[in-house]
Amino acid sequence: MILIPTSSSSSSSYACCSLPQASFNSNSYPSNQSLFLSKSGYPIPLGSRKLKTLRLRANFWESIRSGFVKNNNTTQLVEPPSTVEEDEDTEPVLPVEFTLIERTLQDGLVEEIIFSSGGEIDVYDLQTLCDKVGWPRRPLTKLAAALKNSYMVATLHSVLKSSSSEGDNEQQQQQEKKKLIGMARATSDHAFNATIWDVLVDPEYQGQGLGKALVEKLVRALLQRDIGNISLFADSQVVDFYQNLGFEADPEGIKGMFWYPK
Amino acid sequence: MLLRGPISTPPQPSLRLRATSNAAQPSSQAVFPSASYSITDEDLHSKGFLLRRTAEGLNLDHLNSVFVAVGFPRRDPAKIEVALRHTDAMLWVESEKTRRPVAFARATGDGVFNAIIWDVVVDPSYQGSGLGKAVMERLVEDLRRKGICNIALYSEPRVLGFYRPLGFVSDPDGIRGMVYVRKQRK
Repeated sequence: MILIPTSSSSSSSYACCSLPQASFNSNSYPSNQSLFLSKSGYPIPLGSRKLKTLRLRANFWESIRSGFVKNNNTTQLVEPPSTVEEDEDTEPVLPVEFTLIERTLQDGLVEEIIFSSGGEIDVYDLQTLCDKVGWPRRPLTKLAAALKNSYMVATLHSVLKSSSSEGDNEQQQQQEKKKLIGMARATSDHAFNATIWDVLVDPEYQGQGLGKALVEKLVRALLQRDIGNISLFADSQVVDFYQNLGFEADPEGIKGMFWYPK
Repeated sequence: MLLRGPISTPPQPSLRLRATSNAAQPSSQAVFPSASYSITDEDLHSKGFLLRRTAEGLNLDHLNSVFVAVGFPRRDPAKIEVALRHTDAMLWVESEKTRRPVAFARATGDGVFNAIIWDVVVDPSYQGSGLGKAVMERLVEDLRRKGICNIALYSEPRVLGFYRPLGFVSDPDGIRGMVYVRKQRK
């Protein structure tokens, strides 16, 4: 498998901004912008110098944000959703990993939903996830091979941590609990075509727009690698879901065909 | 796949590549007798056609010409090279006389579960003599031999009738092929 990370940073998630009282809505776009988001709302890790600047600012905001978050059950929009209307060519490069949502749960824990296209995935976690959505079991070695041979593997992880963000970083890490809650992958010839397979979201996390975000970010990452043709095969009940993400069924009458399907 | 020029109805082959009980077991080393192809390797050879399964000896400019001849856009040969390097399986027919590709097909995928067949082409001057079928039958066989059970493709409406006798079914169980459509610039 050849994965070309879009940023040179190791997978570190960084909270970019907090927009008080913003709700996570794939279709709206928050009008208040933080200092260090570009116009389109994406963090901009284009070079290591900029990345350092972003990190500094992130820490600054984190220390302030704890004041916002402490006593609320606010779902904070950390990384604004995409705007489909925007011209895709001029958008900044998506980082390999970033936070999609950050929110405080009732018991005071903070949950971050993190998107990653870096392909780091535990095959046992994936099997557990596939079990949860009711997919038939597949041999682990084959699962691992399929992931390895995929051009891009996108994941959603939930990270739970205690809300005392001012403590040691080491302490914080020990208190973090990371769970795989979504995955989508694409195969490709690295030049012309990519096909998306195996889109799944943990049932406990469905209905929150995470599936949409997962596919949308995966598509964006593929487009940024200059893959011109992105295709998939959709079960009849999810055709509408993909249509809303910009996919068209049977374009120009072109039909998907399968060899002796079961 | 696009076919240009007169498309003759392929004669009903006496032997067809069928899904037998073997289909349930993805055997990696099963031997599939060439008699199960509509045209055997020997037949092809006797007609001056060589079967190739790697990109070695494949002139990309010649391949591009075949693409253009059937109506595909001309593509950057450098990109074609990248695509071929990341292709799971390919099959092409070389004309012994001209040393040029006259039929071609390739498949991409994850190597274990899924494969998609792309760029199925036959040079218009050589259409109608079963080369497309020969390429497709062998490519499907090669994929199945690797254990890949889910083999798909996207077919233009005009050539659905080419793929159906090969065993392809459109929209099985209501599954739809979908393509991402870029937003137009305003």
